Amino acid sequence: MQSSFQLAFLIPLLPLIGFLINGLGRNQLSKQWSGLIGAGTIMGSFLVSLFIFQSVESGNTAVVSYFDFIRIEGLRIPFAFQIDALSSLFLLIITGIGFLIHVYSISYMHEESSSSFARYFSYLNLFVFSMLLLVLGSNYVVLFIGWEGVGLCSYLLIGFWFKNQVYTKAANKAFIMNRIGDLAFLLAIFWLIIKTGSASFQEVFEFVQGNQGTSKFTATDITVVSLLLFIGATGKSAQLPLYTWLPDAMAGPTPVSALIHAATMVTAGIYMIARSNIIYSLAPFTLTLISWVGLATALLAATIALRQYDIKKVLAYSTVSQLGFMFLALGSGAYVAAVFHVLTHAFFKALLFLGSGSVIHAMGGEQDIRKMGGLSGKLKITYVTFLIGCLAIAGLPPLSGFFSKDAILLSAFLHQPLQYGIALFTAFLTAFYMFRLLFLTFHGSFRGTAEQQAHLHESPALMTIPLIVLALLSVVGGWIGIPAVLMHEADWLGSFLAPVLSSSTHEVSHATEWMLMSLSVVGVLLTIGFAWFLFRNYRERESKGLLRFFEHKWYVDELYDRLIVKPIFYLGRLLKEWVEPRFIDALVNGVGKTVQLAGRQIRFLQSGQIGSYVLLMVLAMVTVLLVQFFIRK
Amino acid sequence: MNALLVSAILGVLLMLSSVFIKNKSYIHTLALAGLAGLFMLNLAELNGWLLFEIDLKGMLRFDRYALVMNAIMLASLFFYLLLSGRAMEKVGPHYADYLALLFFICAGLFMVTGYASLLILFLGIEVISIPLYILTGSDKRNLKSNEAALKYFLLGSFSTGLLLLGIAFFYGARGNFSATVSVDPTVVGSSLQLASLLLLLFAMSFKVSVAPFHFWTPDVYDGAPTVFTSFMATIVKVALFAAFVRLFEDTFSLQFSIWQPWVAGFVVLTLLIGNLTAVFQQSVKRMLAYSSIAQAGFMLLAVYAINGDSKEGLLLYAASYSLATIGIFAVLSHLQDYTFDGFNGLAKKQPVVAASLAIFFLSLAGIPLTGGFLAKLFMIKAALAYQPWLAIVAVIMAVVSVFYYFRVIQAMYFRSADDQEMMPEFPKSFPILLLVTALLVVLLGIFPETLLGLLYF
Repeated sequence: MQSSFQLAFLIPLLPLIGFLINGLGRNQLSKQWSGLIGAGTIMGSFLVSLFIFQSVESGNTAVVSYFDFIRIEGLRIPFAFQIDALSSLFLLIITGIGFLIHVYSISYMHEESSSSFARYFSYLNLFVFSMLLLVLGSNYVVLFIGWEGVGLCSYLLIGFWFKNQVYTKAANKAFIMNRIGDLAFLLAIFWLIIKTGSASFQEVFEFVQGNQGTSKFTATDITVVSLLLFIGATGKSAQLPLYTWLPDAMAGPTPVSALIHAATMVTAGIYMIARSNIIYSLAPFTLTLISWVGLATALLAATIALRQYDIKKVLAYSTVSQLGFMFLALGSGAYVAAVFHVLTHAFFKALLFLGSGSVIHAMGGEQDIRKMGGLSGKLKITYVTFLIGCLAIAGLPPLSGFFSKDAILLSAFLHQPLQYGIALFTAFLTAFYMFRLLFLTFHGSFRGTAEQQAHLHESPALMTIPLIVLALLSVVGGWIGIPAVLMHEADWLGSFLAPVLSSSTHEVSHATEWMLMSLSVVGVLLTIGFAWFLFRNYRERESKGLLRFFEHKWYVDELYDRLIVKPIFYLGRLLKEWVEPRFIDALVNGVGKTVQLAGRQIRFLQSGQIGSYVLLMVLAMVTVLLVQFFIRK
Repeated sequence: MNALLVSAILGVLLMLSSVFIKNKSYIHTLALAGLAGLFMLNLAELNGWLLFEIDLKGMLRFDRYALVMNAIMLASLFFYLLLSGRAMEKVGPHYADYLALLFFICAGLFMVTGYASLLILFLGIEVISIPLYILTGSDKRNLKSNEAALKYFLLGSFSTGLLLLGIAFFYGARGNFSATVSVDPTVVGSSLQLASLLLLLFAMSFKVSVAPFHFWTPDVYDGAPTVFTSFMATIVKVALFAAFVRLFEDTFSLQFSIWQPWVAGFVVLTLLIGNLTAVFQQSVKRMLAYSSIAQAGFMLLAVYAINGDSKEGLLLYAASYSLATIGIFAVLSHLQDYTFDGFNGLAKKQPVVAASLAIFFLSLAGIPLTGGFLAKLFMIKAALAYQPWLAIVAVIMAVVSVFYYFRVIQAMYFRSADDQEMMPEFPKSFPILLLVTALLVVLLGIFPETLLGLLYF
């Protein structure tokens, strides 16, 4: 085993230590120390991750086993880490971007009291710890521990300002939605353990490949397992029908949104499916379903984003939409493209969220873009970096988003031309709503109060430096996966991930590829121009018809409320007001009363008189002797 | 065997010590040291090492089971003396004599766990009973204590009569007193043999307070000084159960089909009466007396289902039940108010004591992670091998027991004391010792094999 791999345990351990110190010492630590510990531990993890990444790049992989987590008859689940191309790449994303977000948070959260400041950082560290466990685990069970951990931490952080009831409700929503997916995931794990007798990736995949189609692992098993895993992923990665928690998760502090949307949490579903790609490659039906669900989510979320006015909500729906793209890629069998988009999306989405945080900071907490406008003058760094983020997400060359999105579009084109068409349209929508956001926020004239205008200022260096770093990454991040048509043998990412991810090797002529690329670039440019024409000088207008439908998010929340929440409440009320008092209580109290009654009668046997005791004993003895001698004989 | 003689000698020594040693804490230390020595002797014998050897003429037989049982009793006695030793001083002026009697009883305990002849069984039971009559009445100024002693003596004599009669019939049927020699199948069904079997069943049931021979138990346990109730209800009872099991496993194994239904009936009756009556008690001490009857119902399952599970289960039961009950009584002897209200608000004032007590009660109720859970599990598993309905009754009654055990926990944690003056004061080391005892109970529930392993290596 590579010597640097022996340090792997440090990667999750450091944030865990940070969590413990900040969590337990929150009443003693000063803000400087909490921030230092919080960011420092992630920095440490990042450095170790770099080491490990280097080693993996030179061709080493390993499963590092620490101890047996569960050992019962016929089943052994070790607590072990899988170190290979996929996990090491995710380690870098999580710790690298996580570190920048921690640094940014030190400044963003400075108004909190030192105790809640430390609490914030302890949650943040725990969040990163859970996510690291998730990608490091060498079996589904360890992955599941991390999976639940990120669910818990998102709950804690979304409801960080727990005195506001709306926020705690959003936290509940996120948690419950996630739990629905988790249930399916758990079932999938049980199914795999029952069928294959193991939960570790290596053994499961070998078993599935070796026994697929036989009675040991039938086609039904493959379909069911892959479907259940996918349902689990829709919860964590905010896909239809479980996506509604993510936009509401904006209740948390803005850096938390950045963490959830870029480095942790939502990418977990993509990671899990990419990790299980061997199972998915055998399940064509599930793959088709995934691609359509991803596409539908991408389109739905993009249309909603068109008519949102909360700066973070627009970004949130854009995340849902981009995640839909990633699932489209997964469903088309282009796992590398999906992971590539995770990477580039992590850069520009973290950038956009932190940028929006900077805007909100400058506006004194205002999030409504109708009350902004013309901020480009006052917030120069924020503006430029935000612009880069928009260009990247819109997919203009040579920014990172272009390459990953192009890879997804190409795979969709090869897979199913209809899907390509819808995806391309969605990509145009993306450019449109992002530039609408940019123009409304930074261009035109200021529409807020005079007080807010006076307060406008660029954020401190602790916030702008992460922005600049992320902007740089958003520009260059895509250059690791340049398609062969543009530059020969420049697709570093594809060859790096090749040992882990199977890829479809469809050959496509260069002419077609050139055509697809230019089509999307021209379309995006036109869309941006259209947005400039519409929103350069914004005036508020009542939305009508379809737009109104979009503004109300397709009424999905209302639909869920009607179809699921209300009936459950109704059932609960029925049970509480009718079934419980009449049946359960009656039964329980009845048993209690019987016991009391019996006890009251039996108590009189204990009279305190020796004579009666002896009499009773003699009676008992005589009965036994008579029965024994005359009846049982 | 060594321990038997040494404990009798220690008893004599302690009796004499009151003449020479005036400081009671020295006497206490002496007793503890003696017990530790006995424990080491017993452990040595368990590993095949004897201090001196005596030809026992087939009257005593210390097999592994007896020795492990003795080890459990000695360890319980050690904790008993640690926790309650000083509370004995309050009973009366004859501190050293009480301790001496305890050591005499100890000799009797070893006799009943290791007897090979019914004569020794009889002797052992008497050696246990007579000092117990004295200890029950040791609080001479207290009328209740006097009354309890007299009741105990009268009823005890009655049962001794049954025991003797049973042994006499036994001799008549078999021509010897040997508890180990297997019976000639032709005499199995003879009337003398049957009568002796049933009489011994009644007598043993009386001694371990199994219904319908339990009537003495609540009155005696309630009237006796609390420290001695603790001793009677735990260590003595456990030893007598070991004798009970041995009698029916070895001596009457061939009549299994005859006595098993009767024992089943006694189990049900004991569980019902013990648990249902305990529900109604206002005094925790009296509740514990009934609870000891209820627990005896569970332990009787070991007699009912003579098999490997039940014998191991009895060991586990002996250890966890004794430790938990000793701990509870030790706290009780410091309280002024024996009602449930006496425990109000204990968790605030004495968190360690309250937490330990909670563990004890959880163990008695059979909640997982405690020794009591595994003990009940073993018993129910053993019973399941024969009669599912018996196991069902046992489980239901265990549920009922939760009611009265948890009342104390509820009082400690969810009520506040009306009168702060009534709060008990404990010696400084007491909470720590109690916590150690509680931890032992938990350890028994997690690593039972460390105890049960002693049986086999």
